[in-house]
This record gives sequence, C-alpha cells and structure tokens, in this order.
Amino acid sequence: MAAAVRGAEELELLERLLGLPGGNKYGVQGERKVPVLQSNNGPGLTGLMTIAAHLVRQARKEQLLGSSAEEKAVVQQWLEYRVTRVNGGSSKEDTRTILKDLNVHLEDKVYLAGNIFTLADILMYYGLHHIMVDLTVQEKEKYLNVSRWFNHIQHYPGVRQHLSDVVFIKNRLYTNAH
Amino acid sequence: MGFGDLKSAAGLRVLNDFLADKSYIEGYVPSQADIAVFEAIAAPPPADLFHALRWYNHIKSYEKQKASLPGVKKALGKYGPADVEDTTGAATDSKDDDDIDLFGSDDEEESEEAKKLREERLAQYESKKSKKPAVIAKSSILLDVKPWDDETDMAKLEECVRSIQADGLVWGSSKLVPVGYGIKKLQIQCVVEDDKVGTDMLEERITAFEDYVQSMDVAAFNKI
Repeated sequence: MAAAVRGAEELELLERLLGLPGGNKYGVQGERKVPVLQSNNGPGLTGLMTIAAHLVRQARKEQLLGSSAEEKAVVQQWLEYRVTRVNGGSSKEDTRTILKDLNVHLEDKVYLAGNIFTLADILMYYGLHHIMVDLTVQEKEKYLNVSRWFNHIQHYPGVRQHLSDVVFIKNRLYTNAH
Repeated sequence: MGFGDLKSAAGLRVLNDFLADKSYIEGYVPSQADIAVFEAIAAPPPADLFHALRWYNHIKSYEKQKASLPGVKKALGKYGPADVEDTTGAATDSKDDDDIDLFGSDDEEESEEAKKLREERLAQYESKKSKKPAVIAKSSILLDVKPWDDETDMAKLEECVRSIQADGLVWGSSKLVPVGYGIKKLQIQCVVEDDKVGTDMLEERITAFEDYVQSMDVAAFNKI
C-alpha cells in the first residue's frame, strides 16, 4: 500500500499550491498525529481543517472556501468528511464506503462543491491519493464518477506536484455496468 | 468524430457516455470545445442522462465568461468519440453549423426589424447623396513634354501647350528641364477636374502640335 499523504506533508503541498512562501513549521500531536502549526507568537493552530483554512486566507484565495453560503457549507462538510472518515478509516470496508459515498455525490457535480474548485477538492485529492493508486482497473471503473473527478483534479494546475500520476484508461471495459 | 445528431435522444446518449469519465469535452479545463457542443444542444439533457446533465449545468455556470474561455471553436465533428459521425442539423435544415463564421456576419439571424432599419438607412443615405452637390474631384498633373530636337523653339512650344483650352482645365507653372545634348523638355503643371478632363485627352491635344512635340508623358498624377 502506498504511503498516505498525511499531516505536515499535505500542508506543505497545499502551501506550494497556494503560492505561499513557506517557512511555516509543522509538528504532529497525539496518537492520531494531528498536525500543528507552530507560531512564534501565540499558541499556534491545531488540526488539518483549521490550518488549511488559515493558509487559504493567508494566500487571499478565499474563493477556495466557497463563494455562496451554500458552497461554504458544502466545502466545510467535505473537509469534515475528509478528516473524520478518510483519515479515520483504513479497512477495506471503510474505503469502499468512502468511494461509494463520493461516487454518488459526484454523479451530478464536476467539483465537490458543484461548479467551482475548492479546498475540499484539494484536500480530498491528497487524502484519496494513496487509495486511488491501489485501485484495480475494475474498481476505478466501478467508481467512475470518483475516477473522473480524481483525474480532473490531478490535472488541475499545481495540485499534483510530486505525487504520482494515477492512470485511468480511456476505454471502458464494462460499458454495460451503468 | 462527433456525437451523431445532438438534437436527438440518441446523440445525447452518445454525449452522455462520452462524458461519463470526463469533466469537459476536451482536456481538463472548460474551453471553446465545451461552448461549441453546449450551443448545439437546444435544452438541458433529461435527468436520466446524468453525465450529460452534469456537464451541461457546469458549462452553463460559465455562460458569462464563455467568450474568454480558451481554445478555438471547431466543427462539432471534431469532438467526441472517434467512431461516431456528426450529423447535428443535417436533417433539420440547411444551416451549416459546421462553418466558423469568421466575420460574424450571419445574415440568417438578421431579424426583420434590423433588416427594415438597415433598408431605411440605405434609402436615407441614397437620397442624401443625390441631393448633395457632388464634391468635384480634382487632380494635379505634372506633364513632361519633349521637343523634337535642340532647335525646337521651347517658348513657342509652351505657348502651344497653354493654348489648349478645355472646361475644367487650368494650366499652372512650368519650367524647362535639361535632358542632355542641349535638349530641354518642358515640365508643366496643370489642374484638371477628373470628370471633365482626362490624361488621354491632354495627350491627344498636346501631341497634335506635331511640329514641336515629339512625345508627352505624365510625370506625376496626384488627387487633390
């Protein structure tokens, strides 16, 4: 199984994607390795969502958190899902549930929050990368909507960086499955 | 390539299958390819073709920026699965939607009102033109008149040339320019009204003084 992109590494990827100068120091805390942003003045920030949202604001790319109230809520919901479900689960059963959830959600959407690219897409991509790498061709096709979304996000400028390019075959094998 | 007839259910199904694993018609960003296909579809695809519908709604969200999307619109036959032909519009009417209208002059879409307005303007323009005294087009011509030999009396030659009178012809200054071997040519300026005097007529009249003039050229011709 490929190593999961976790904590500090993920936040550094996000920093680069946002075009921030970097230089932030990250640490991890506790048994579940919750990321912490250390700062010189004050207590610092704890938790992936908190730090990510902070970085987005720092880069003045608030649109990544959603524009309308509804979008903001959806972004929040998927970030929460990312932290609690994707990070929490590791069994095959959990993975299947996550992919199924996403597949249903993405059926009528291009991005997680609908028509705009948001922080939810970025973090979900980083969170799912190690799962997608290990999927078989059949599974990728079974979760077709996830595959399409994933392939789209990994081609979004600046997102993939050093992560491996997950290959999706162009011709479907089981065209009658849907 | 193509989607068949995009205005039919079968064509939309091809589009739906095509978009199942793609977010856009081409590449990973919205482009003119999407707009081209989007505009070929009359109404949102039905709900059971959810891939096509998802795409349709997504492209619709770009409607305001559609002119600024990257890429160049191509014929519908350039998009879509390789094994399907484009037949959109082939059966319905003769509108050749495959053509890219480079000049944006789409006569078919000119509404009745616009047409009427245009005709009115044309008529107005015509009547104005006929009433207004036409601007008299004039030209300034510089003529070179060459004598037979060095013994030709240039003063007499100039007098002959200046003796030519015609409506709309005014002679101007003149000078003698040496050509060589003691021969000089007469360079003379005149202003003519284009409608009344032509260079052919001038040439004919000047060369008529056979005793003095060997030939005549137009050295310069300027519209005033």
